[in-house]
Amino acid sequence: MKGKLSIASMISLLVASAITVMTIFVPWWQMKFYAPQYQEGLDIIVYPTRLAGDIDIVNGLNHYIGMALFSNESFPELQYMPYIIIAFAIAILVVALIRRKMPLYILIGSFAMGGIVGLLDMYRWLKEFGTNLDPRAPITLDPFIPPIIGKNTIANFVTNSYFSYGGYMLLLVFLLLVFPLWKDRKKA
Amino acid sequence: MNPTLKRVIFAIAGAAAGLLISFIFFADLNKGDQNASANQSKAEKVFVPYGEKDEYYMMASGGHSGQLFVYGLPSMRKIRTVPVFTPDPATGYGYDAKSKEMLGGYTWGDFHHPAISETAGDYDGQFLFANDVGNNRVAAVDLETFHTVDIMSLPNMGGPHAGVFVTENTEYIALPTRFARPLDGQFAPLDDYESEYKGVVSMTTFDREAKKFDLAYQIVLPPWSYDLSDAGKKMSSDWIVMTTYNTEFATTNLEINASQNDRDYIVLLNWKELEKQVAAGNYKDVNGAKMIDPREHKGAIYAVPVAKSPHGVDVTPDGTRFIAAGKLAPMMTVFSFQKAFDAIEKGEFTDEKYGIPVLNYEDVMEREVDPPGALGPLHTQFDDRGNAFNTMFISSEVVKWNVDTGEVIDRQPSYFSPGHAAATEGDTVSPDGKWLVALNKIAKDNFLSVGPSHPESMDLYDISGDKMEHIMAVPVDPEPHYAQIIHRDKIKTITVYPKDEARPNSVWKQDDARIERNGNEVHVYGIAMRSRFIFDAKADRPDAVTVKQGDRVFFHMTNIDLDQDITHGFGINEYDLNFEVQPGQTSTLEFVADKAGVYPIYCTNFCSALHQEMSGYLLVEPK
Repeated sequence: MKGKLSIASMISLLVASAITVMTIFVPWWQMKFYAPQYQEGLDIIVYPTRLAGDIDIVNGLNHYIGMALFSNESFPELQYMPYIIIAFAIAILVVALIRRKMPLYILIGSFAMGGIVGLLDMYRWLKEFGTNLDPRAPITLDPFIPPIIGKNTIANFVTNSYFSYGGYMLLLVFLLLVFPLWKDRKKA
Repeated sequence: MNPTLKRVIFAIAGAAAGLLISFIFFADLNKGDQNASANQSKAEKVFVPYGEKDEYYMMASGGHSGQLFVYGLPSMRKIRTVPVFTPDPATGYGYDAKSKEMLGGYTWGDFHHPAISETAGDYDGQFLFANDVGNNRVAAVDLETFHTVDIMSLPNMGGPHAGVFVTENTEYIALPTRFARPLDGQFAPLDDYESEYKGVVSMTTFDREAKKFDLAYQIVLPPWSYDLSDAGKKMSSDWIVMTTYNTEFATTNLEINASQNDRDYIVLLNWKELEKQVAAGNYKDVNGAKMIDPREHKGAIYAVPVAKSPHGVDVTPDGTRFIAAGKLAPMMTVFSFQKAFDAIEKGEFTDEKYGIPVLNYEDVMEREVDPPGALGPLHTQFDDRGNAFNTMFISSEVVKWNVDTGEVIDRQPSYFSPGHAAATEGDTVSPDGKWLVALNKIAKDNFLSVGPSHPESMDLYDISGDKMEHIMAVPVDPEPHYAQIIHRDKIKTITVYPKDEARPNSVWKQDDARIERNGNEVHVYGIAMRSRFIFDAKADRPDAVTVKQGDRVFFHMTNIDLDQDITHGFGINEYDLNFEVQPGQTSTLEFVADKAGVYPIYCTNFCSALHQEMSGYLLVEPK
């Protein structure tokens, strides 16, 4: 079996494939808003397939600063994300079964690429919503770009953005993908 | 020196020295400090810091204000006034189409005795029922929203004072009448009082799903005045007990003429038996009510003599006894249901009063409790350790005594003249025994003066110990008669009305706001949201409505801000109109635009930083 991935590596990839599928059902990213009147916090919860949380209330408040409306329709990605996730899961499964290193390198490369594209896409949306404010809005704010991770203050609101379960699960998937590189490294 | 004078001087000096010594040794120079620390510990018992909430709701009737007052206990902070029988511009109650129709043109009510719905004799916290002594009505408040959801008028009644009370599982909400009247709205001179005037008990039912009352049947009785009443519990759950006065049949100057007999009566009614008879068709239709005469049905009605002019009659938590408090006789009388059942079984009746078998007082009475100097007992509440608490209107105090032994355990003053008292869940099968509130009729100068119209007052007592502890006196608007105190865990409110897209007249999308005209009717299907009105999404000015003078205008408004505490008001200048839509609620305002001109419309309930800008115009074109 020279040149093939070990059984341990194969199991690692199988687990990675399963976790990838599971991420469809959990939130990936979240933004929580706090204000004196909202000490319990308002949520924007991003699943790979839809938005959840207090979207109507956030939209209601955002109209004061002229921010565009959030809805599932305003993010076309949400419609094809599940297909991308399933495709990745299948690719991982195939690599696990053929147990070859070269396809694994390609897989890791494209997974990392997908992650970077995803982050760039998020940044694009945050910039789009934060800087494209309606100039006729009752409250004039300087354009702003909420961070992907971390704290920001907009008027009376303090926002906290952070990755949720799905984000951490994807990180775990990445670790499980690179695990075979270490496990089956060439020994001197 | 004259020896007599000497003796006198020595005597005076000796007495003075004695006084000085007793003052040095026994005087309490720290009294002020002790009061301060006692007051501090009282304050600590009732202080509810920000972020925490009271443990109990007190639902106090608002008397002739026609409202319900909601208090938090133990802080005694007033939380809300809920309009029941009276229009309330602050919430638009009596202005929007539904509540206006419910009030039926009346502008006041006299709400005496609240009753929270019960299951197995315990508060279930779903609804609260209210009587209107002023205009013969019964109302239901939904405790999910604290809004009045139904009001029903009761025919043949003359002021349902002796209610409301509910049977063990809220099978019936019962309301006995205070004033006798001829039935069916007929005229009869007062000279014919004994023959033509009747006392009536209304037995109403409430459908919790449809949130609607129904009058199941009415019970016709002699023209006595029915004062207070209670439903049995557990072993006595089929029975109703009611106090009477004016068994003299006085028709004038009742103060004197209805206080002549040494005894009045407690009437025992078997509602289970009456229910059976009504189901069997044994009733007469009187003014739309199924009227049954219990005297025609054996086992349906009995009377027990009681000390004259009683007020309260209260069933003990275990349901075995009922306690009458005779307001003009200075004692509480404990009666046994079992003894009453035994006497009925043996057929031992003294005489019949107007066809009602009267049981022997001695056969039914278990004990009389007569604390010396305690005058005017009105009403009894209970704790969880077998004790009863009685308010004494005349001697202005609360008396704690043991039901089984009659032993008087403690007496504490009240400030002043308590009517009812309410203990924590103190009229249920499982009282909590923590707090008692005396609902006083006289406040005098206990609070900052606001002139001749004084507030009423309420005293809070800690009843968790052996002795009662008076904690504080609190002012309250006129005028709570009775209150019930329910643990907060039993009240399950909603904070926002659910978004129901199928609700008639509701509009949820801004683009769907529209105006429809049909002859001289104008229907506005509008939206209220932070911070604008949208009446017609397609119009150049979505917040203006133009109608013709004489048009009948309907504003169907939906508040689409599904956010806690974002209430929008809706007032029309000079049209004497104002109402509110709570988050997620749809309400309709209906009126005839009979005045031509331009009338600003604005949001009356502060909703947001741009609340001031939330406005529009009603333009009424002259004919």
